[in-house]
Amino acid sequence: MKLIRIYVLALLMILPAAIFGQEIVIEPDNIVLEVGAKKKLNAYVMKDGKKLTTAVRMFSRARRSLSVDSTNTLTAILPGSYSVIAISPGAPRKTFEVTVNYPPIAEIKLDDVPNRIYAGTPITLSYSVIDKAGLTRKNPSISFASKNESVATVNSFGMITTYKPGRTTIEVKSEDVVNTVNINVVKNPITRIELSADGDQARTGDVFHFTAKALDAKGNVIDDAPLSYSFFGVSDNVSINASGLIKQDGRFVADEAGMYTVTVSCGVASASKTLKISAREVQRKIEVVGQGSVTDKHTSDFWVWEGVDGRDYAVTGTWGADGTAYFWDVTDPANITKIDSVQVDARTVNDVKISEDGKLCVISREGASNRKNGLVIIDVENPREAEIISRFDENMTGGVHNVFIADNHIYALSGGQKYYIINIDDPRNPYAVSKFELDTPGHSIHDVWVEDGIAYSSNWSDGIQLVDVGNGIAGGSVKNPTQFASYAYPNNANHASFPYRSKSTGKFYVIGGDEIFPYGLNTQRGGVNRAAGYLHIVDFTDLDNPEEIARFEVPNAGSHNYWIEDDILYVAFYNEGVRIVDLSGELMGDLRKQGREIAWIVPNDPNGYTANSPFTWGAQLYKGHVFYSDFNSGLWSAKLEPEKPKETKIQSK
Amino acid sequence: MKRIVLSVIFAALFSVTALSQNYYVYVTAESEDEVSVIKFDGKKAETIKNIQVGVWPQEIEGPHGITVDPSGEYWYLSLAHGNPYGRLYKYKTGTDEVVGSVELGLFPASMQISPVTGLLYCVNFNLHGDMVPSTVSVVDVESMTELDQITTGAMPHGSRISSDGMKHYSVAMMSGELFEIDAFNLKVARTLDLDEASKGLVDHSTMDHSKMDHSAMDKKEEKPKEMDHSKMDHSKMDHSKMDMGGMKHSAFKPTWVSPHPSKDLVYVAGNGAAEVLEIDTKTWKATRKFITDKGPYNIDLSPDGKYMVVSYKTAAKTGIWDLETGKELASLDNSQKVTHGVAISSDSRYAFVSVEGKNDDPGMVDVIDLKTLKVVDTAYLGKQAGGIAFWKVED
Repeated sequence: MKLIRIYVLALLMILPAAIFGQEIVIEPDNIVLEVGAKKKLNAYVMKDGKKLTTAVRMFSRARRSLSVDSTNTLTAILPGSYSVIAISPGAPRKTFEVTVNYPPIAEIKLDDVPNRIYAGTPITLSYSVIDKAGLTRKNPSISFASKNESVATVNSFGMITTYKPGRTTIEVKSEDVVNTVNINVVKNPITRIELSADGDQARTGDVFHFTAKALDAKGNVIDDAPLSYSFFGVSDNVSINASGLIKQDGRFVADEAGMYTVTVSCGVASASKTLKISAREVQRKIEVVGQGSVTDKHTSDFWVWEGVDGRDYAVTGTWGADGTAYFWDVTDPANITKIDSVQVDARTVNDVKISEDGKLCVISREGASNRKNGLVIIDVENPREAEIISRFDENMTGGVHNVFIADNHIYALSGGQKYYIINIDDPRNPYAVSKFELDTPGHSIHDVWVEDGIAYSSNWSDGIQLVDVGNGIAGGSVKNPTQFASYAYPNNANHASFPYRSKSTGKFYVIGGDEIFPYGLNTQRGGVNRAAGYLHIVDFTDLDNPEEIARFEVPNAGSHNYWIEDDILYVAFYNEGVRIVDLSGELMGDLRKQGREIAWIVPNDPNGYTANSPFTWGAQLYKGHVFYSDFNSGLWSAKLEPEKPKETKIQSK
Repeated sequence: MKRIVLSVIFAALFSVTALSQNYYVYVTAESEDEVSVIKFDGKKAETIKNIQVGVWPQEIEGPHGITVDPSGEYWYLSLAHGNPYGRLYKYKTGTDEVVGSVELGLFPASMQISPVTGLLYCVNFNLHGDMVPSTVSVVDVESMTELDQITTGAMPHGSRISSDGMKHYSVAMMSGELFEIDAFNLKVARTLDLDEASKGLVDHSTMDHSKMDHSAMDKKEEKPKEMDHSKMDHSKMDHSKMDMGGMKHSAFKPTWVSPHPSKDLVYVAGNGAAEVLEIDTKTWKATRKFITDKGPYNIDLSPDGKYMVVSYKTAAKTGIWDLETGKELASLDNSQKVTHGVAISSDSRYAFVSVEGKNDDPGMVDVIDLKTLKVVDTAYLGKQAGGIAFWKVED
């Protein structure tokens, strides 16, 4: 033993001498390249003053910006400063920097400005700076100047303020490149503005549509008047600011009850209209009816359906456990009774769905012992004797996280990248008919929901994707899924998508939900967690120009799964239970601030997997009861009290 | 008499010395998103620390591959599932704090660092993807930068470096190939069709027919079993939309390769064929075939070159082979189902074998004494114990 240690020590003493006697030499010493340039470097190893023949290889630490090939030739792709490592057997590695110069600015592109600008109205320049390599320079150093500041001035953000009729030139400069734009300021003919709206009283959350007409002294309409909308308000509540959202097309919505004045202006001309906003007052009581307790493992998704025998049933999945799915009789929501279970080779049954005819159940598998996950089809004609009849995992074995059933097809996620469409005409012999996958770099997917032949998938950074799988809107079918619309939002957290056709307005929305865990997730018993994220309401009425128009957020609670029926949203927020939200009318702004929340209920269970730690997974309205599943406590039911006639009549707009 | 007494004293001292040593391994719990540190004192194996890993809390990210760098200063972990790409994490040994990470390919799995280039080579297993060639990511661990992705075969696995540090070996599970990568120039140097290599080598002298699983070697049976083609209606499939990549499905189904510590040999586990092939890297030909129990999965060779320890995933056993004689010295039952990885201590004394279990079974690590050829003890950890790496032995 001692001998071995001596040998090891000796080796350790000798090794550095052997290694550190060698040195990689790179020539030239200081390497600066222009974009697009190639340069072969001379690299060799020196030891004791002698040049060795040992090979040296170099690798770029930013190979998409500066590449190095096997001949140690550098190719400069993008400007910046990059590290290159040089390796040679027996020699300590050498790291050196290569600078790729930013190409000189070649051009400043300026967007067109109106031929004439009315005195007193502002305009903002839109520009981009292009270098000689054709690359758009990010955060360029840029300056603006007006040649005639009595006509117009320009600030450092490119915003032009006009004062009086006349001409001026705005000079835009970056490095040595200058571009100019001529500004023609004309007399502002607008002497007054007529402002009208679709009412002057409404509730919080009701959307007004303002129309403004700019007129000259003779009463002629000036069509190209640049109108600017703003508002001022006083809340009925002295401790709260009046707030709301106004769009430059004249839409306005108020959050708080109070008096609001909406103003439209064009130079010195302006018009205002005052609105009286009342509280929405949609709150109702909700009470717990029953619980199907699961406290020995985490509960995941669920589905409630009417069985072929006319009774009502539910299925729940389990998370990070033993691959069990539970079946419940929920005919009496006050007496939720576990009637059967199936166990599959999995650790997580994340998703469960039931076919429209109530005969089949499909569950997802993750964490299979052979890492082949996939899905399992269960005959639930008699949910008391649920029977696994087939499984499907070909080409989709990677953690099937979510599934959906529609028109005898299962839509199943595969490996977080795509979804397969699987025919179940014969559920004992399912077969794939097609798949849908985006082609964006690093694309990923989390969920898919199908309604009226359209698949709504949730694709994290690629957002909401609408795919024709039989609707006909884009010529698609289950064999030929065809994407026809999409919307991505900046936080890259699109986790769920649910279509919603507003009964009261005819508008078509898709509600995209985030899933964010800013503090991680402790899934152990006793683990208390906190989620984040909210619902993004996207108006898809114009499929080519979807507009994110509203949000519903419960701060620090984290949105998860949801359900919409009769213009009411039932949404699970992890930490704050089920929130029931009035979606009636046009949607715009912050729905919660507008008092659209009808009720909320939180599943606290002192005997939960983690006690008194609500972590609500999803919600579903079924035959007048709200069912919801909770990560720590199982399946719940609640009853929302019926809507009562209002004692105070509120004048509608 | 005096000699006997001295011998007894010496043996007792040796025994005390051996028993006073503590062995440490890192093991992943793939369905728990945890890594556990296992300590073994010669008698008792226990989990002394659980390290939470991953950044997508609600998703199981699947820590799969793990390795300790040659200096023992850092350990590296691949998280299989990302969005969609997996990541490689660098941790400091002992404190187990994260010091860096880098995104790799789809389902990054096993990996090793070359002591010569200092680079880490990690296969992108792409277990759940289409049957198309995947890659080996090469990572500069100093800056945690992916330097390159080298295309190999379908579902590459078993990433191991030759003893001279200059060659990287991996196998492609579905396309049935062995890849040799020039670890310095980052190019595929040679490939070997393992199905053909296996067919071309019938060494009955070393075959133990009693342990052969002929059913697993029947291609007609194996393929439908694995892919469940029986449930597919090909007439109704729209193959134009299905990207199968034209890849063959290997019956040999290699899952691991381990280079010999001192000879120009590598050992390949044929999970589908229930055999281990010895490949001579000078001639690039198979030289011996070891018929194993069902589902050989991972292999480790003792640093002294005497033993080959093979996990039999399907059989839930571990095989210990004498490399010189080519005989299986022992086939030991593991503590539960789904035997996974093997790591042998630096002193060639113990083999640490991870055993996954199923459903909510805890993960386990069986410690096998390579002298007595017995399971000494079992440590328990989170669900689906998988990747395993020997860290250190201490007095």
